[in-house]
Amino acid sequence: MSENKKKILEMLAQNKISADDAYRLLSAVDSGESGRGDAGHGNTGHEDTGKRGPEIKIKPKYLRVTVTPNPEAHATGNGNLFQDGNVGRVNIRVPMSLIRAGIKLTSLIPPEALDKANNALREKGINFDVRNIKQDDVEELIEALGDMEIDVEGGKGEKVKVFVE
Amino acid sequence: MNRPPMLMHVKIQNEERDFGFWLPLFLLIPLALVILIILSPLILIAILVTWPSGWGKYALLSLQAAFVSFWALRGLEVDVQGRREKVYISVV
Repeated sequence: MSENKKKILEMLAQNKISADDAYRLLSAVDSGESGRGDAGHGNTGHEDTGKRGPEIKIKPKYLRVTVTPNPEAHATGNGNLFQDGNVGRVNIRVPMSLIRAGIKLTSLIPPEALDKANNALREKGINFDVRNIKQDDVEELIEALGDMEIDVEGGKGEKVKVFVE
Repeated sequence: MNRPPMLMHVKIQNEERDFGFWLPLFLLIPLALVILIILSPLILIAILVTWPSGWGKYALLSLQAAFVSFWALRGLEVDVQGRREKVYISVV
């Protein structure tokens, strides 16, 4: 077992990171190690775009949204499922193919509704025409999402993470 | 081409009851295809009648969109726990 993986498991055992974080870190270590060795053989759930060399572009496969509540905020100590630190926990995994299919649905929106959407955006100060969203732009956006990671800690100690894997 | 979704697992749990089921989507796909084939003449007539007004195109595209969206469901997982309820949906 590599040193990195050992450290990750030690942090998980000490509750310094959550199981989700440990999984992501282990996946990243695996993809890094497989990138240094044979390219394109990882178990991270990513699709390899076929590029070879030291930098392998990983195509994101899932969009993940997780909310981890602060266990101390709701703990009662009686072990009840709905009153322990899991209240407010959210774990969502959306396949990228579903997001692509959803964006393609915009072609079904009647022009009148698109005009209303554009007007509503303009009122909020966003000068953007939703008709300008093209399929190529969507693919570029999804590839760029591979580098996106949002990590927010709320006032009550809850952690919100949005990332792709 | 991706594999279609095979099973959907839904679990709803609250303080009073614990409810869950597995839905065999691999059985629903042939059933939906059979229904589509049976209704295809009616659907075709509806599309042809509405085509001049422009709505026929949307009807055709919506069929395609529904099919593509269903096919893309594989891998969807939703796990939400509230104060009194826990909902879990998984499509494999």
